[in-house]
Amino acid sequence: MFLIFKRLWQVNWAEQWQYRANLLMYLLYWLVSPIIYLAVWTSIANVKGSVNGFTANDFVTYYMVLLICDQITSNIVIHTFAYKIQDGSLSGELIKPIHPLLTNGLVNNIAFKMLTIIGLIPIWIILFFLFKPDFSGVSLSGVLLSIPAMILGFFIGYLLSAAITSLAFWTTRVYSIHEFYFAIILLFSGQFVPLPLMPKVIQDIAQFLPFQLFMYYPIQLILGKLSAEQIIQGYIMAGVWLVVSILFFNWVWRNGVKRYSAVGA
Amino acid sequence: MQTLKLLSAFFKMNVQMSLAYRADTVVNILLNIMWLGWELLSLNIIFSNTETLGGWGLGELIALLGVFRLVNTLMIALIWPNTEKFNQSIRDGSMDYTILQPVNSMFLVTFSRITVWRFWDLILAVILIVVGINMADQVTSAPQVLTFILLAITGMIIIYSLWIVLIALTFWFVKFDNNVTILQALLDAGRYPATVYPVWLRIIVTFIIPIAVATTVPLQALRGELEAPQILTFILVSIVSFFLASRIWKAGLKQYSGASS
Repeated sequence: MFLIFKRLWQVNWAEQWQYRANLLMYLLYWLVSPIIYLAVWTSIANVKGSVNGFTANDFVTYYMVLLICDQITSNIVIHTFAYKIQDGSLSGELIKPIHPLLTNGLVNNIAFKMLTIIGLIPIWIILFFLFKPDFSGVSLSGVLLSIPAMILGFFIGYLLSAAITSLAFWTTRVYSIHEFYFAIILLFSGQFVPLPLMPKVIQDIAQFLPFQLFMYYPIQLILGKLSAEQIIQGYIMAGVWLVVSILFFNWVWRNGVKRYSAVGA
Repeated sequence: MQTLKLLSAFFKMNVQMSLAYRADTVVNILLNIMWLGWELLSLNIIFSNTETLGGWGLGELIALLGVFRLVNTLMIALIWPNTEKFNQSIRDGSMDYTILQPVNSMFLVTFSRITVWRFWDLILAVILIVVGINMADQVTSAPQVLTFILLAITGMIIIYSLWIVLIALTFWFVKFDNNVTILQALLDAGRYPATVYPVWLRIIVTFIIPIAVATTVPLQALRGELEAPQILTFILVSIVSFFLASRIWKAGLKQYSGASS
């Protein structure tokens, strides 16, 4: 099994490396929104002194850490897999004795992330000098605690996206469904603004959803803003959602593959 | 006259093409409404925490959202579909047939594909602008509205010209099929007044990829913040950039040698 993963890694790394120029463009594209949110909120905080307890530096550190967390927990499975179901090229992968999404697809995503993170490092350092965040609140224990949280966040996100991608077995409009899902993440993950600044209703719902595990929860862990009770609560939610997303993905996948009729065959 | 005839022919052709995918059109319109909801909610979140953003009120930001959506429509309804077609035609050499037509090739390349259903977005944008202006407390005079419209058009022309330059580069670098991604990437910066951005970002969105010239600047005209010389400068810049762009396009065409030869 290890050998299989090693080979898959070599293939996928080489494949992603081939598209490094595209990757850089993707990175630039993805960077702009968080930087704009950062600029908007720091300008408000600078005028008012603080927004709901958040100072300008709180916003700068929040979005600077968000850049890292988002890059670690996000995935691109919809773009690398949905078309295979639609054009029938999944057939070749289905006859292999390994799960296409849980082995090859997963490794492909991780290779993609490794490359984008390498690309992000110099950009992040430049942004660090442009915005001069004060990271004095960050402790080693917070960073260490956030690592398993981000890994859990990535797997939950990956399984949910994979399940949504598998809806391509039923409908050709899977990209529209994914766009809707993307908006839900935007609303409940803390991507636009730290969750305490969201309307009360959204905060209350967000607590029970997995999306804050992608951004808000690991960011606050790193910044050392959570109480022991909140940390434990977050990890329990992560555990529950991991189980739910495994079950959900398996159910969608198993029923989907049965419907698969390989277009063009 | 001929141009108008051609435009209406393109329009009809594109209506027929999109009618083949009716259900998709409905889904896309629903998604569009969802994003409008999100945009208004995000403005509501911002303004529940502050009264002004860079000196602008909620009404002004709603009007800005309308102008942003105009540019966004230009991007999605015209720039993306035509760029895709153009990149394809450079790669497989079907550009040959475009050049053979007895019409301006730049016009042909930039207007032959139109995502028709996006037109409703224009109506929405105009509604947002009108509602936004009415919500802002300050009185807007007729000349201000006129300069606003004028500068919105010059902003669009500048973006259109930049687009021409970006795709014309493909004549020299065939593999450059990421040509408009940079435009799309910075587009989101048009949602908020450029005056709140740090200086380096303001320079990028004003001089390098001038999204702000098409979004923030017209709104500034509406607020009566611009003097006559500034307004004239923007008009002049748009004319110059359009001429430069068509020059670069012509030079690029000379480079083109087909795909097989």
